[in-house]
This record gives sequence, structure tokens and C-alpha cells, in this order.
Amino acid sequence: MAKLSIRSVSKSYGAVRVLDDVSVEVEEGSFVVLLGPSGCGKSTLLHAVAGLNPIDSGTVIIGDRNVTNLPARDRDVAMVFQSYALYPTMSVAENIAFPLKMRGLDRQTSQEKVAAVARLLQIEPLLERRPRELSGGQRQRVAIGRALVRDPRLFLFDEPLSNLDAALRTELRAEIKRLHQSIRRTMVYVTHDQTEALTLADKIVVLKAGKIEQIGTPLSLYDDPDNAFVAGFIGSPRMNFLKARVAEDGKAVLVGDTRVDVSHLSTRLVDGQEVTLGIRPEHLDEKQGVELTLAVDVTERLGSTSYVHGALPGGETVVAERREDQPRFGETITLRFLPGRTRLFDTQGLRLR
Amino acid sequence: MTTTASDPTRHFFQPIIVCLTVASVALTLFVIWISLHDLSLMRAGREKFVGLDNYLRFFGDPRAMAALWRTVLFTALATVIEIALGLAVVLFLDRDFAMKRLVRTLLLVPIIMTPVVVGLTWRFLFDPATGMANYLLSLAGLSQIDWLGSPRIALFSVLIADIWQWTPFVILLVMAALESAPTDPLNAARVDGAREWQVTWYVLLPMLRRALAIVALIRAIDSIKAFDLFYIMTRGGPALSTETLNYYGYIVAFTNFDISYALAIAVILTIFTNVALLTMYSVLFPKAGER
Repeated sequence: MAKLSIRSVSKSYGAVRVLDDVSVEVEEGSFVVLLGPSGCGKSTLLHAVAGLNPIDSGTVIIGDRNVTNLPARDRDVAMVFQSYALYPTMSVAENIAFPLKMRGLDRQTSQEKVAAVARLLQIEPLLERRPRELSGGQRQRVAIGRALVRDPRLFLFDEPLSNLDAALRTELRAEIKRLHQSIRRTMVYVTHDQTEALTLADKIVVLKAGKIEQIGTPLSLYDDPDNAFVAGFIGSPRMNFLKARVAEDGKAVLVGDTRVDVSHLSTRLVDGQEVTLGIRPEHLDEKQGVELTLAVDVTERLGSTSYVHGALPGGETVVAERREDQPRFGETITLRFLPGRTRLFDTQGLRLR
Repeated sequence: MTTTASDPTRHFFQPIIVCLTVASVALTLFVIWISLHDLSLMRAGREKFVGLDNYLRFFGDPRAMAALWRTVLFTALATVIEIALGLAVVLFLDRDFAMKRLVRTLLLVPIIMTPVVVGLTWRFLFDPATGMANYLLSLAGLSQIDWLGSPRIALFSVLIADIWQWTPFVILLVMAALESAPTDPLNAARVDGAREWQVTWYVLLPMLRRALAIVALIRAIDSIKAFDLFYIMTRGGPALSTETLNYYGYIVAFTNFDISYALAIAVILTIFTNVALLTMYSVLFPKAGER
């Protein structure tokens, strides 16, 4: 168990800069999620931590050991891959025992440890099978077992649930969460799925195009995003972004003809300045507040709630949550929101607080 | 899934299967039938049924037994060396480098070349007076070798030509297998603490086993049947030292015109090949096979 420091790590493939001066501190025993769209460099960063990808510059420190130039085998980390990466020619037991075998552990101890891990993950009946005889969920359990068996200083997960179906994903997600709570090891988890990030993480690192957009707790990213990218990436369905113009000496913005009070902001706004007003779908279903009219296109019924897709009079499309009724195509409804729920961004996408 | 009985495409493939079956069964039976006679083109029309005489003759024929032994030796050496060398080259080439495409194209050259050209080329190289091989030995300060003229060496000279021609084939197939193999398990093994040779030995080679087994089978079958290189390079000589069973059968049939005995040799070679390859197959692909 150890903390992990990633300091000013950069990496380029040819002219493409996949990691651009990335620094992350992972506290001992915490669960950190690297979140971002595909191609943002999150997997490259994880591979760099594992020692599978050399980096161009920067430092990786695990515990108090600088491992930047150490090969993967000497870093004492364990990794779970999206593709499970089980050894196809070995049985489940041999797969789990492999890291122990590579460390020269004797057979007796090794078998005991494999049995203990199999018991923990409830894969005891599978020990003699080959990976190809297992379902996806079972394979990923075995892969987690292989990571668990030797008590590494650091656990790395590279989109471990992305190849599983929705039900299994939820189940295994809870299991990983439980696992972390019981063994309290430092874990770094890569995903593009913000639900996984929000449910699992102590701390989320949002990456985009090789750069860190924001680091924070799940709640702070949701409530207090630094920029429009994070605001849009966290939360489902994503935040609505509406074009707005500053008026009344910076005290309010106009979305079309609708006035939204922003006098609580400390940033000095200039009349006529173009800004983006962000409001989440779940905040458009208030009893009172600022009103917007929406022409309904589609209603998605999820049982407990519904999401209405439609257009404002200005033509901008909006998704709104609707808990009470389920309006149909062609209806016009009134959305209400509290100005305090809105988030304001400048034309660069930076948050105006 | 449609059953064969209702599948209209059976009208296309069933006649072909019937034709092929009839042809191969009829030919095999005809061959066996002739091999039970004493048909010789030297005294055509006077053949009679001799039972298993030709087969008994084979096992009492020292020239045939020597040829059989040579076939075994040549097949075993050619297959093992080509697989080992091919695998070594593949593992060495398994990295990205500038000329990879060119190298791969060059590898095709020996395979595409007709055996006649390969045989002649190597005969020139192995020429004791003017050949390149002895020139290189002389540069290295080593004594000259009579590559194709010495009964102790000639078989290995043909072996070298065979290895030159067919190792690239092994390389191409194993390279394809390597490229389609998943790389994540290799990375997993590295993270799990394996050194590079351990990654290769415990993870990569087991994943390539199937491909290697198939290539080995193909090479073994081809080596048993090898004829052209022997015909071009040595004609079985010197002093019968490179005469394989296949080549001996050819001599018996087309030099001695002893057709029945030649066919008996062919039948024995076929049985021997099948037994050997089935054994090899069952060793390489165990019933409870992996993957």
C-alpha cells in the first residue's frame, strides 16, 4: 500500500501530444478515477504508471520510490485490463498463481493464497477451468483475483467493466467498491463512464486531450465544475448549454427574452458580453422560478422519472427531467428553474463564478 | 441451421464428394492390387499374383531400409530446424522497424522460387571448385568441404537448401499468428513480474502453440515427400547417400521399371507417413486441448 505521485508527465506519439504536463497526487488508500472521453490519454497515463509505456518526461513515484525508469515487473503494481488479459493457455488457478510463481513463491503457500482469493471472489468452482470456458463477468473476476493475490502496492484498473453487459457492470462495480472498502488499498481506475466514476471515486481526475481539466471529489465536479467540458461530461443526461447575453449592468443574463438573475456571482460581467448558461436537466423541474417554454419532441420514460427532449422558442434543444407528467410530442410545456442552479461560462468555456 | 438433407446446395457438393471418394478409393485399391503382383515394364503381360512378396521384399531390402532411415532423419531435422529457426527469427523481428515491409516481401522470395532454381543455385554455391560456400570458408580460414560429393555431408547440404527455402514459410505463418495474438496478456505478465524471457516462455509461446503445430505438420508432410531438391542437387548420390524413400520409389519405377515394387514402397511410405503424422497430431493437439 502506498501513495502515488504523478509529476509533470508528458508523452507524445509523433506530433500528437497524448499527455501534456499531467500531475496527479493519489493519497494512500484512496480510490482515484481517471475520467475522460476516448483518446484523452487516460489509458496511456495508466500504462505509464504501470511501466508498460515509457514517458518522455516527468516522474512517477510509488510510495517513496521513484519508479520512472523501472520496468513494469519491478514496480509492484497489479493491473486489471479491459480485455481481461487472462493467460488463455492456463487454468484459472494457474492464472491467479502466475504473479506468485514469477516471484518464486513455493507451491504450498501459493495454493493457499489462490484458494483464499478464490473464496473472496466466489470463483472456487472455476479454478480448474480455462478462461475461454468462462463468461465475461467470471473472467473479470479471475483477473481481479490475479491482481489481488499478491498484495501489490498499487491497483490499476483499465476500463475493467467496459466489455460487460449493463447488469453485470452494475454488479461488479458494487463489488469493486466493496473490495476497496474492505482492503483499503490505493486504486487508480480508468473509465469513460461517468456513472462508474461518480459511484466509485474518492477523487476524480477529468482528462481531455492529454490535459487535466479538473481534479475533485465527485460532488464538487458535479456541483462546481471549473469549465463547460467538465460540466457537460459529468452528469447524465448532460447539462444543457444555452447562449445568453449579459444585461442590467452585469446583474442578469438574457436567454432569448428570459431574464435570469446572476447577481450572486462575484465576477464582474460587462453588458452585452456573450456567455453560456448551463443548467442540468434535473434542475428544470422546479415548482417556481425562471420560466422557459419548451416544444416537446421526444419523451423518454424511465419509470421513476422521464426526460423530455425539445426546443426552446429560439431553436436551442434542451433536455429536461419531468417527474410528475409525461408530455407528448407537439405539446408545449413550461420549465422552471432556480437561478442559483445555473452555471455560467465564458466563450472559452471557463466558469464564471 | 439447415440439415444436410434439406440444404439445396448439397446438389453441388455431394457429386464432387462422390467423385473424389470414388477416384481416391479406386486408385488406392488399384495401387494395392498392383502391388500384390509382380508387374514390371521389362516383361509386360507376364505379371502374376505374388501376394505380400513385394512387402516382404521391402523389409529385406537394405537399400530401402537405408532410404527409410534417411527420410526419417531428413524430415525430423528439416522440421525441427525450420521451426526453431523460424520462431527465433519471428521473435527477433517482433518489433517495429523501418524496413519491416521490405523484409517481409524478401521472405517470400525463397518460397516463390521453383525448386529447380533453388536446387541449381545451391548446387552452384556448393560447387567444390568455384562455389561461394567454399570461398567463404577459405576467407574464414577453414578447410574446404566437398558439399555434394561426400556421402557423409551431401544429405546435410540438401538439408541446408531445404531450410533456406522453407524457413521463411514458417516465419510468415508464425508472424501472422503472432500479430493476431492479443498483446494484453503479455502486458499483464510484465505487470505480474515476469521477465521478458518469461513472458515469451510462459505466455507467448503457449499462445502460438497451435500455429507452430500446424506449421510443423505442414513442414513434416512436405519433407517426407521432398523430391525436387534431391533430384536437382544430388540425384540420390553420391553412393546413394541422399536417396530418400520417395526418391528410391521413383528409381524403382522409372529406372528399373519394377512397377509393383515401386507401388509397394509408395503404400508403405503412405502408411508410415500417416502413422507418424497422426501420432504427431495427437501429441500436438491433445483431446482436452486448450484455447
